[in-house]
Amino acid sequence: MVPLGLLNPGEQGVITAIRLTPTCAPGADRQKCDCRVEDMGLRVGKTVQMLNNGSPILLKVDESRIAVDRGLAMKIMIKEVGR
Amino acid sequence: MTAEALRKENIPAAEARVPQRGELRPVEKRTITVAVAGNPNAGKSTLINAIAGSRLHVGNWPGVTVEKKEASFEYAGARIRLIDLPGTYSLSPYTQEEIIARDYLVNERPDLIINVVDATNLERNLYLTVQLMDLGIPMVMALNIFDEAQAKGYRIDVGGIEKMLGIAVIPTSATKKSGLDELLKSAIATAKDPQGHLPQQLNYGEDIEMAADFIAGELIAGHPALIERYPRRWLLLKLMEGDGHVQKVTGFGGNLLEEALRHLKRAHGEDIEAVMAEARYALATGLTREVLQKPELPKTELTEKIDRVVLHRVFGIPIFLAAMWIMFKLTFDLSKPFADWIGAMISGPFKRLAEALLGAIHAPAWTVSLATDGVIAGTGNVLVFVPMIFAMMFFITFLEGSGYMARAAFVMDRAMHSIGLHGKSFIPMLLGVGCNVPAIYATRTLENPRDKALTALLVPLMSCGARLPVYVVFIGAFFPKHGGSVLWSLYMMGILLAIGMGFVFKKTLFKGEAPMFIMELPPYRMPSLRSLLIHTWEKGKHFLIKAGTYILAVSIMVWFLLNLPWGVEHKKDSYLGQVGAIVAPALKPLGFGTWEASSSLIAGLVAKEIVVGTMGEIYLKKEAANEAAKPSLGEELKEVGSSFLKAAGESAANITSTFGITSISAEEDAAKAAERSPLRAELKNQFTPLAAYAFITFVLLYMPCVVAAVAMVQEFGTWKWYGIAFGYQMFLAWGVACLVFQGGKLIGLGG
Repeated sequence: MVPLGLLNPGEQGVITAIRLTPTCAPGADRQKCDCRVEDMGLRVGKTVQMLNNGSPILLKVDESRIAVDRGLAMKIMIKEVGR
Repeated sequence: MTAEALRKENIPAAEARVPQRGELRPVEKRTITVAVAGNPNAGKSTLINAIAGSRLHVGNWPGVTVEKKEASFEYAGARIRLIDLPGTYSLSPYTQEEIIARDYLVNERPDLIINVVDATNLERNLYLTVQLMDLGIPMVMALNIFDEAQAKGYRIDVGGIEKMLGIAVIPTSATKKSGLDELLKSAIATAKDPQGHLPQQLNYGEDIEMAADFIAGELIAGHPALIERYPRRWLLLKLMEGDGHVQKVTGFGGNLLEEALRHLKRAHGEDIEAVMAEARYALATGLTREVLQKPELPKTELTEKIDRVVLHRVFGIPIFLAAMWIMFKLTFDLSKPFADWIGAMISGPFKRLAEALLGAIHAPAWTVSLATDGVIAGTGNVLVFVPMIFAMMFFITFLEGSGYMARAAFVMDRAMHSIGLHGKSFIPMLLGVGCNVPAIYATRTLENPRDKALTALLVPLMSCGARLPVYVVFIGAFFPKHGGSVLWSLYMMGILLAIGMGFVFKKTLFKGEAPMFIMELPPYRMPSLRSLLIHTWEKGKHFLIKAGTYILAVSIMVWFLLNLPWGVEHKKDSYLGQVGAIVAPALKPLGFGTWEASSSLIAGLVAKEIVVGTMGEIYLKKEAANEAAKPSLGEELKEVGSSFLKAAGESAANITSTFGITSISAEEDAAKAAERSPLRAELKNQFTPLAAYAFITFVLLYMPCVVAAVAMVQEFGTWKWYGIAFGYQMFLAWGVACLVFQGGKLIGLGG
């Protein structure tokens, strides 16, 4: 398991865990957390491809291109599956 | 239960669906209300534009300032009312858009939902579909962007989706206008027989369904009224998710709910909401797998190729800046001839016509002056800028529609970070270039209150369309040969100062870390000319309405302030002149410490474009001299027509000169322009070029206009942020203008 933010451009990985921020814990006020990550298709089990690893990061998930903060990308853990 | 097992069990959902009492409304009523729901970037607006076109009515959702589009029209004997819901990824209650969409669907209960789905991105779009189906409202799916999906080699089993979801699915392409008739026909058929078109009730898996049944039993026994009022399935699921809003409204919860969820929590963990989201997602994934076949080797898409260049680490920002420069240059060059034409028409034929008319009915002299100098000159001086505003709105709309706007946010993210914001805040700022008012409203797309406030504070530094008229007059008078560059320098100054102020605010008012950021970059698409024109019109309309209403009112007011007390001989002795004279010394270090300049600036507090109108009033004396050769009405009309054609020609010629080919006869043009516009000629006598630049800098920076003030107060419910904006901007305007003027003098640019 490595953080998503460490993938090189072109590499792919499968999301294994999303380390939610403390505000995202069950019962917490979800308005303040990053659960939109999941609504936008970044979920455990999804294959993501790194398109542009800078600041911010550009990912491809299914057919969407999603831009995320580096900080957020470091909280998403993946298993590398190569190119 | 694993996601895999869930999927196998769930599709197709086997349960027979018994319609609930009170769930459906009678179909005989004449208007069919259709809510259009879908993801952002699924082509929802394009679809609605293609269907409704000019019948579209744009307003606001009650109580909030999110745009609401509506259209009513007859189709095949039925009366249809389309309501465009805000684009959302989900129906959870976490963003303003989601709350609006779900409140509308739950409380207003439309006759049916048209769910616009992006066929090239099925899975994520179906996640919302699954949630919409829970509402038990008859539904038709518009499988949009179908042509692109086919071009990519996707094979979608349309019949399969229909069978599994129990709803009609119509492949559409909003840009090519295909499938729209089928969609409307299907919508009408569905509305006529809602019972036969209810979506399937999806099976969320044994554990969830068991808990749902338990709660349903309790509800029927103890709270029958609730079941009458809300869609039953939706209510059950929301109660289980622990949706605070629903719990508060229904007053259901506590021990009963705890008991119902005990098993579920033991098996799946405490976070039921996550469990439910997982179940929904599994449904969407399973369905997608059943109906979609992708080609083995996906081609590198055009979008990706463009992104590789446009989002390049090194070239991204230069490309962005160049794009902005071209946009401003095109705006200026394209619209200038038309603006000159309108200006010439207003100060020529129209003014003469009004004078002739009022003279014919023997109106007193002061009303002639009010009509020509106040109303016509005041509003006219602003109307001159309509071509400019519309050209700018056109290009901004193009950037939005093509998908580049989101890239601009991406590219600017790093720069925005330095001022404690992220790239998404850049979009309101960029909109601010059109007009600060919608930009301030656009801050609501930012989830975090801190981002919202900081962005709204910086938006007024973005030079809006209303400031353009002032620049243009001064550029025309002083820098005709470098118009594009001077204009560009002002916009850039605004951006750089926003960065600086953002940094200051980050260290003072908004300490703490910038929150996380996530945003979708839509694929590049060529917006259709029709949708470009519609949206340009929608945006530009606000300016026209402003010019027609309260700029007119202020022009009249300014006229009175300039002509009161009765019988003032010199404008300087009028009320406005007197106030201007008091303020003037404070502006002396900036190079324009005259009562004329300060009076215009004071009038501009209401709206910055008024500065120009007021200057016209103050500087231009009544010219009774050149009335010798009064052309006849016929000649006038001929002149109107022929000069318009000439303007169109010039505009076309200017496009070529934008791209490096030297301007045909810039100097000659400038001379002519000065001749045509007496205000420019007069300004040349009043200001030095350096003072002129300091003046437009001041106009760029000094306080946001009254409409922006109202927007800020409305948006935040407090005067606090507007007060801060007012204070820091006045300070900044004075400081920077002073720096420009004094600094310029020091390095020998002349006083």
